[in-house]
Amino acid sequence: MVVAFFGRGVVVDAVSDEALRWQTIVGGIALLLGVFSIVQVHWRRVATRHEDRVYSAILLLCLAVMAGFGVFGGVGTGSVYDWLFENIQSPMMATMFSMLAFFIASAGYRAFRARSVPSAILLVTAIIVMLGRIPMGQYLYDGLPGWATWIMTVPSVAVQRGIIIGAALGAASMSLRVLIGIERTYLGRG
Amino acid sequence: MSFWQLMQRLDRRIIYTLIFVSVIIPTLFPLKLPTAVTPETMSFFNAVDSLPAGSRILFPFDCWPSTRAETEPMAVAALRHCFRKNLRVVGLSNVGMGGPSVLENVMNRIAEENGKVYGVDYVNLGYKANYQAVLLGMGSSIETIFPADHRGTRLADLPLMREVPNYDSLVYTVIVSDNAMIDYWVSLVNARYSMPMVAGVTAVMAPKQMSYVQAGQLQGLLGGMKGAAEYETLVGAVDKANRGMDSQSLIHLLIIGFIVLGNVGYFMTRNDKREYHGERG
Repeated sequence: MVVAFFGRGVVVDAVSDEALRWQTIVGGIALLLGVFSIVQVHWRRVATRHEDRVYSAILLLCLAVMAGFGVFGGVGTGSVYDWLFENIQSPMMATMFSMLAFFIASAGYRAFRARSVPSAILLVTAIIVMLGRIPMGQYLYDGLPGWATWIMTVPSVAVQRGIIIGAALGAASMSLRVLIGIERTYLGRG
Repeated sequence: MSFWQLMQRLDRRIIYTLIFVSVIIPTLFPLKLPTAVTPETMSFFNAVDSLPAGSRILFPFDCWPSTRAETEPMAVAALRHCFRKNLRVVGLSNVGMGGPSVLENVMNRIAEENGKVYGVDYVNLGYKANYQAVLLGMGSSIETIFPADHRGTRLADLPLMREVPNYDSLVYTVIVSDNAMIDYWVSLVNARYSMPMVAGVTAVMAPKQMSYVQAGQLQGLLGGMKGAAEYETLVGAVDKANRGMDSQSLIHLLIIGFIVLGNVGYFMTRNDKREYHGERG
């Protein structure tokens, strides 16, 4: 796969394609294994009358309903699966995510304090970016979007690039350790 | 207890109520404030706009339903632009839970609006597990990875897909993503297959993706609801993102107000706390 990434050829492509096909099949089976695992865990909770058995039962019921309608009724627009997704699952997930606005406002009010110089810099920067990213900020002062863009494209990118390069080097060295057999913790031993 | 001490102990339910009101009021009474277009959004628009009519493009929608408020307006605006330019769109999702369904609904809606036909002008390949294998495998053969589309139709029966055996037949990629999939599109597909691409991402992801834009790996970027609102303005179809920006404006102002108020209160009551702790020794 590493060779295939850097160059193409008949043999390399054939081997790489076959490996990718296997990888897709294994990925599908892993997904199925995940479903079996979750059913097993929650079925046991229901069977042993665990204190959270009601939640487990709801999970199993929802899993069966969604999978049943998806497999036997199709997943296209207008299907029952689509109706359940559009009117129950999607709004519930969006609701969970939108709760963040309430928590961020409350946390910002209680915890975001200029206790030191670095935290004061962070606070001022956050305010400039927050104002610069909304039409109201531009309405209040025309230069704010430019300031916010500069913060996001110069100091922020410099830091982000450092993080990306650091993470990539870490991932590469970890992969190398796994390939040459130094790293064995994923096998359950040191 | 002084006013500032009282403010430091403000009930969180009051904060929640103010946030709720800030969302509702602009939804009912839009402010219609103009949105300034950033250079990254302009580059995104120009990249799609410069593609010749009939070009085949890839449209990955790698998003969870939870971020739909941000990502769906982006997908709508981008697809509207693509279909108006008569581009032919091959969609897919690397997020199994909800991604293909949202994409299917958005594609059908915008295609119907522009008189496009499924299978000829656009296709939704759906989801396949193991994204790294999917992204690399499509470079050799899309049909090997996706034997059938999201609706279960064999790719051989879809006129558009008969013309698209792999990435070589696609001229551009327009990604909408709310997760790290964007890194794989850049590092696997852009790097290995030299596929030019633009991306629309959630606001929290945008700062990281700026490094890809500056490196030329992404030719344009939409950042959050603001990016979507800018794109709507450029396409000339003001929709949900622009309406959402009114609420976002008020909420940002409210949060800034809370932060300022919290800090003023903190400095006003700091001496009280010192005295209190001093007395206790």
